[in-house]
Amino acid sequence: MKRHLLRHSVVVLAVVLLVPALCFAGPTYDKVQAEGVVQAGLMYNSIPAAYFNESNEWVGFDVDIATEVVKRIGQQMGKDLKMEKVKVNNKTRISFLTSGRIDMSTANMTHKRERDKTIDFSITYFFDGQKILAKKGKYTSHKDFVGKKMASMQGTTSEKNAINLLKSLGDTNPNVISFQDEPSCFLALQQGKVAGWSTDSTILLGYAAKEPGKYELVGDFFSDEPYGIGLPENDSDWRDAVNFAIQDMWNDGTYMNIYNKWYGPDTLYYFPMTEKIEMWP
Amino acid sequence: MNSWKYLLQQMAVVAAIVVAIVLFFTHVDFGYDFHWAVIWEMNPTYEEVFGIWLLRGLILTLEITLISTIVSLILGTLFGIARLSQFKPLYYFSTAYVEFFRNTPLLVQLFFWYFAFPLGLPETVREFLYDHNFELWAATGGLSIYTSAFIAEVVRAGIQAIPRGHLEAAASSGLSRIQALRFVILPQAFRIIIPPLGSELLNNMKNSSLAMVIGVADLCWQAQQIESFTFRGFEATTAATVIYLSLSLIISMLMNSVNHHLKIGKKDLNIVDKILALLVRPLFMLGALILRVIGAVTFFLGERRRKADQVEELYLSSSARWAENLLRILIVSGKGAFILFFVAFLGVVGYGLWGFNWDVIFKNFQALLIWTFPHGGGGEIFHGLGGLSLSVLLALISLTVSFIFGLLAGLGRLSRSPFISTPSVLYIELIRGNPLIMVIFWVYFFSPILTGMQIDVFWSALIAFTIFSGAYLAEIVRAGVSAIPSGQSEAATASGLSYFKTMRFIVLPQALKIMIPAIVGQFIALFKDTSLAYIIGVFELTTVAQTVNNRLMIYPFEIYTTIAVLYFICCYGMSDVARRLELKYSPDKQIEAPRMA
Repeated sequence: MKRHLLRHSVVVLAVVLLVPALCFAGPTYDKVQAEGVVQAGLMYNSIPAAYFNESNEWVGFDVDIATEVVKRIGQQMGKDLKMEKVKVNNKTRISFLTSGRIDMSTANMTHKRERDKTIDFSITYFFDGQKILAKKGKYTSHKDFVGKKMASMQGTTSEKNAINLLKSLGDTNPNVISFQDEPSCFLALQQGKVAGWSTDSTILLGYAAKEPGKYELVGDFFSDEPYGIGLPENDSDWRDAVNFAIQDMWNDGTYMNIYNKWYGPDTLYYFPMTEKIEMWP
Repeated sequence: MNSWKYLLQQMAVVAAIVVAIVLFFTHVDFGYDFHWAVIWEMNPTYEEVFGIWLLRGLILTLEITLISTIVSLILGTLFGIARLSQFKPLYYFSTAYVEFFRNTPLLVQLFFWYFAFPLGLPETVREFLYDHNFELWAATGGLSIYTSAFIAEVVRAGIQAIPRGHLEAAASSGLSRIQALRFVILPQAFRIIIPPLGSELLNNMKNSSLAMVIGVADLCWQAQQIESFTFRGFEATTAATVIYLSLSLIISMLMNSVNHHLKIGKKDLNIVDKILALLVRPLFMLGALILRVIGAVTFFLGERRRKADQVEELYLSSSARWAENLLRILIVSGKGAFILFFVAFLGVVGYGLWGFNWDVIFKNFQALLIWTFPHGGGGEIFHGLGGLSLSVLLALISLTVSFIFGLLAGLGRLSRSPFISTPSVLYIELIRGNPLIMVIFWVYFFSPILTGMQIDVFWSALIAFTIFSGAYLAEIVRAGVSAIPSGQSEAATASGLSYFKTMRFIVLPQALKIMIPAIVGQFIALFKDTSLAYIIGVFELTTVAQTVNNRLMIYPFEIYTTIAVLYFICCYGMSDVARRLELKYSPDKQIEAPRMA
């Protein structure tokens, strides 16, 4: 009888100790550790963040960052992790995270409070802001776009920001046309269907470089777009792992190497680095 | 008495299904909190009531639908008649028009009209268009042209179906030309053309949902907008679905009323039918006007030809001869003008092709066919297979699987028991009353809630296409089985065969023969519709084209034309097969393939 009691209490104790342990180590962290695979969501139509190059290879700044983050999480865990790239777009990137299809989403995602209700974000890994791209020599300030047509992408923060900007400049009925992807926006601008295209400045730089000398960015930044890696909600261990990986990358200079490869002075998309990644001593 | 009992049973089944669905959603925990108030509540973050957005979208959808209905009726009638012309250039032109627009996906056509077409216009015209809501006009125009190609076929078939003998019989029994037109041709042409015309117009409404891809803020676009603002995709999609269903229901009721009107013999109209009949009267007047024009033109052409055969001309008075000569000059100059137009058109197309950067097409052709297969990464489906082959695969698998759905639902609908027929009818009509794009969103938003996990977008799309095409196949099955004389199954039952044996050995083998052309037609429609998987990022032909285009950015004309041609070759080839099968298997009845949106 006594032995039984002892055995029972051991089991109970084990359960009491183990269950919270299981709860605290988030499901994603454990899953990755067990399977050795990270499902990373990446855009496929965004130059130079993530796109298919001439030989149909999937490359870009986000792709390199995701690869490096996964490599470093593997080092933290002490095992070799494999990254599986999953194509996401503006419609799928958040629902893929909430449903567990992907473990992280490195996909031009601005960290917004409204979004934080549904998913979590890593620390900011890229600092962008919204600008307006237009044909060269036609416009000089934001004010010139009042009453004109503006392109943006459906389901993005830049869509809302553009409407707000035009409203604040006195446009009573802002004419912002929302397309399904970036190529459609650029085509609309290229063909003069819209006066300007507004989104994060690096995306604009990527497209403007397609026809050098024909386009220019008009006016200053009118919004801050801190990019975070989208992560599943309430998964603390996993988020720590990702955050530490980003900070380590910054500390040993790997981050700037990747940055300069895509946004450095020698590239088509030159975008000077003016900020610093958040550091925890 | 019996019909009352049936109706009651039917209503009981519907009520049971509704209760089951409500219980399912309120008592089963999916780990998803439904928040329906998002539709009517003032959202605190954005200070907007999203229901108003949906209404705004609805108004735009109605606007596009109405305008494109009218334009496509006019264009369709003209091209339908032109396809019967003896004047070869006109015949070739109209045939090319009809075949080309019927055999390429509407999505690709919309991209073409919006992005590629204006490049061929003079600068001033282009500027003018861009300043006048070009998105809306490209969508409405593209939709009108697409629908008009289908209407042209309906009109052509309707006119061809009237035997020449009827006209001759009318003439020999002493009716004047006008009388023959009014009492012999028009009433018949009406009956043949109106029912399929109605379903084309219903499709037209559903197809208007594609306008969202070129940035038109229609109903479907607004639902997506709410999703992207609040992440309440499930609720927004449901609300839009209910609106689309109501629209479809209203159109079908009007159509039924019209069809009722056209029925020969006894009509038992109840009060609802009578009210509807009043509503559709203006439609009838419009139809009568259009058919009067068709009738008059065909009649006139036929008459003129006949006159040429007669030598009566010699005895015509001088004024009549004058009129005749003037007419002849007009006709000849008209033909001349058309030939000039035709040559100019060919010239423009040829010039456009000459200026193509063929290198771009050759370089990317492999990507358009198979994408990166077999060098895809680990997370990619079928080793990175994509492009045309993925489109074909998607259509093939979903057609095969949906055949089972279609068979069950089609036979179920014919069942005498309301417990089987009502669910079948609900499935068929719910799906057919919605645009495909809504079904895709449904599967996409619903499957993770139901199963708690997200499947690859390829499988999402596959499930959506299967469910969608199942409903259309069910109608083909129903039509095929109904076409088998009931005496056959009665004889089978009398000789002691069970229901399943009767179906398996007597009815289905015969019905299948009749269904084959319609099924091939369905496959073509499904193949074109795979382009819609672009919206959720499946790497089929349209998405690959967008991705390739994205990299090059300065050759949209080349890329879009190439994929339009690829789609066309596949679809036209299959329609050719369908035509041959139809000739081979047709006993005496042919069933029209219900088309997908």
